[in-house]
Amino acid sequence: MTLFELVIRSIRKNIKHYYLYFFALIFSMSLYFVFATLQHDSSIVERMGADVNFATSFRVAGILLLVIVAIFTIYANSIFLKRRSKEIGLYQLIGLSKLGVARFLIIENMLLGLGALLLGIGCGALVSRLFLLILMKLLGFDVIVGIAFSAAAAVQTVIVFAALIIFTSIQMTLTVYRNTLLELFNAERQGDHPKKPKTVVAAFLALLGIALIIYGYDLSGHMVNDMLFFNMLLVLLSTILGTYLLFRVTIGWLFYQFRKRKNGHLGLLNSLSLAPLMHRMKANANSLTLITVLSAMTLTMVALAYSLYFSAESDTRISLPYDFVFENKEKDAKSFGAELEKAGIRFDHQPVDAVRLKGTIRDLQGKPEESTQGMLFLPAEQLQKAGMKVKVPPKGEAVLYDARVNLEGRTDKEGMGFPKEIVLGKRGETKMRLTNLVVQYVMNFNVYGAQLVTSENTVLELANNMPGSPGYEKVRLDTYQVPGKAERAKASALYAKYVSKDDFEPDFHTQYEGALHSLGLLMFISAFLGLVFLISTGSILYFKQMTEAEQEKRSFKTLRQLGFDVKDIMRGIVRKQLFVFAIPLLIGILHSIFAVKAASILVLSDITVPSVIAMAMYALIYFVFAVLTIGYYRKIVKNAMS
Amino acid sequence: MNDINSQKTVLHAQNVRKTYGSKGSAQQVLKGIDLRVLEGEFVGIMGPSGSGKTTLLNVLATIDRATEGTIRIDDADVSKMKDAELSAFRRQKLGFIFQDYNLLDTLTVKENILLPISLSKMDKRMAEEEFNIIADILGIKELAHKYPHEISGGQKQRTSAGRALIHRPSMVFADEPTGALDSKSASSLLGTMEDLNRKRDVTIVMVTHDPVASSYCSRVVFLKDGQIYSELYRGDKTRPSFFKEIMDVQAVLGGDNVDVI
Repeated sequence: MTLFELVIRSIRKNIKHYYLYFFALIFSMSLYFVFATLQHDSSIVERMGADVNFATSFRVAGILLLVIVAIFTIYANSIFLKRRSKEIGLYQLIGLSKLGVARFLIIENMLLGLGALLLGIGCGALVSRLFLLILMKLLGFDVIVGIAFSAAAAVQTVIVFAALIIFTSIQMTLTVYRNTLLELFNAERQGDHPKKPKTVVAAFLALLGIALIIYGYDLSGHMVNDMLFFNMLLVLLSTILGTYLLFRVTIGWLFYQFRKRKNGHLGLLNSLSLAPLMHRMKANANSLTLITVLSAMTLTMVALAYSLYFSAESDTRISLPYDFVFENKEKDAKSFGAELEKAGIRFDHQPVDAVRLKGTIRDLQGKPEESTQGMLFLPAEQLQKAGMKVKVPPKGEAVLYDARVNLEGRTDKEGMGFPKEIVLGKRGETKMRLTNLVVQYVMNFNVYGAQLVTSENTVLELANNMPGSPGYEKVRLDTYQVPGKAERAKASALYAKYVSKDDFEPDFHTQYEGALHSLGLLMFISAFLGLVFLISTGSILYFKQMTEAEQEKRSFKTLRQLGFDVKDIMRGIVRKQLFVFAIPLLIGILHSIFAVKAASILVLSDITVPSVIAMAMYALIYFVFAVLTIGYYRKIVKNAMS
Repeated sequence: MNDINSQKTVLHAQNVRKTYGSKGSAQQVLKGIDLRVLEGEFVGIMGPSGSGKTTLLNVLATIDRATEGTIRIDDADVSKMKDAELSAFRRQKLGFIFQDYNLLDTLTVKENILLPISLSKMDKRMAEEEFNIIADILGIKELAHKYPHEISGGQKQRTSAGRALIHRPSMVFADEPTGALDSKSASSLLGTMEDLNRKRDVTIVMVTHDPVASSYCSRVVFLKDGQIYSELYRGDKTRPSFFKEIMDVQAVLGGDNVDVI
């Protein structure tokens, strides 16, 4: 029998062990192929044109994907090798040289890999159209896409794949050369035994773990200051370390206390859940920490991306309360209005006469809080007519409107301490009371100047009294609102010619479309990566649980013989699986809730709903894997007696 | 023999047959076995390899099903029970000692022993009392909180015996309990089993190929080719003389383990 025949025979005989690794390879290959196809697809490239962001985003995401795929494949390979270590040992025992065994494994790996590559590209080609449709939909393009098989994508996939096969082959060779026969034969039986924790140290570390996590959470709530980067690092470090301690010590310690209190009367349920969990706590601490932290990151990424996408319209609306604004361009405004009328578009036009000045805000003790800034005094009565919800402040008082205070981290300083004082004029001779701050814009954000709302009379007074003061300027703002969505798009096209290239005078519709494109892309990439990541972590947990189930087969047989039926045993196993899957997920979700909360200042709208939706989706897919492992366990328990 | 007849029958097997394989290549392992075990008996089942002794034990212990025949344990016809009923029956009425202990690695000695009553309604105080009595008899009380990997083979088998007894089963089945032990641990374990049999009236059926082990029994049943070949009662004989008798029968029977000690 030649080596090649041996390989074929071995693959045929061991298909049960191989399918796991094989699946991992196919999965990695098809996803990579889908991604490469999208990257090279002409219909996307045409539409996004020369958008540099687009190409860069895709390239970065591609590298991330590559890393995930590589880690996943190598991890699957190591589990696969561990399961087969006895077989590898056996080949050596009967006299095959190490070189021979390594060659044998490499040939096998290449054959499997080639199969996986072909299947992967096949599957990828089938589903890539679906992904392209989703992407187009997210970007707001309403077109039917035809997709051709992308040769460039295939070539790229083959290259990546070849690299992966080389990696895994090296990994296999190392396993053969590094391990002694004895180690190979005992590899499957490894597992550590719970040691009595040193009470004082363990209790301290257990509490420290929790304390670190709480500290991280707390810090994440108010880290926006000059030390932002340092704070972020600190939050990350303390939460990750805390999570590790939680898995490595805290949970084990709690289990130990609970078990000690039971004094041997553990009961079947705990014997099947608590005991095996404690048995593997040390070995599992690393992977559970990794899964938790990565889950938290993915959840945060997906939830934020989805929230941004979800809030694109409301965020744009907050920044641009008016569909169109003309600043000191009365002639243009008039002709725009005429054009709208001609086109039969319904609209509301409201002019707002404001005054711009330079001034400072300071507290009542006279300490200036900020350097001189541009201020835009807006008449409340006219804003009300334009549809803004504002109150008219008493004469001589102003209210600051700013939707971005959260992002700028000024809430702490400026949110309090009202009333304050506005100082205007050459020598600061004019003063005005600033009574409050409202988190909202009443004028499109691109119109220069801090938005200060006063009564119409106060604005008039400023206009009459202040000429000659620094930065004095009368500002005529023509606001237009177009209620109909389709009409607004038409109006936007008409508006375009009034904007010269150098000016930043966005209209709502254009701004919204742009946001939709970039956020849609962000959304797609993070969802794609999130999915890949979710399936990889889920599969890793599933593979691990499969191995554990195999190892516990004998216990199940014993229990069945002692007279526990499948139902009783499964109750314990379900509890264990819930723990293995739910704990990393719950802690990951908790982490991400705080992370999303900290990052939510990037979004002006409330993002509770989109975040909850994204997290729920994630949890749902994740639990599919828990159900799969429970099914696998049930099969093993059912067949344990035969 | 009068006092034996007045005792209660715990296990009654009639015409038990077991066939493996499908019609074409069927192989009959048990060819019509009749066996009656009375309360308080310590029965050894001996026979050469392939004589069907382990199959018989598995069938009697309801772990495997007979192809034909009836088995009654404690007046219940186990051959007619459904799988779920059988499980409950095993859990409540039977105890098991296996050759390779089959302890759960993840549980301590005490947790392993208390496992069979984990689904019963026995209250904690009573279970604790029962555990203390049994652990005392088996001499493993100090090991209560150790894990299987921390104790010796003999101690493991004692733990396994404790697990077989904790729920006061109607009978205990032992499959080569000394098979993996050195001779000293083996004789010590067998002595304890004999004690338990006499003092606590535990009914035991034990499969073994070791004549020394079976010399601790009150009766030894010899199997050959799936049928009962002969039986020996110990009566009032000393263990050495019973051992000699067993050796004689085995010499006639042939097969393995005929070597004289």
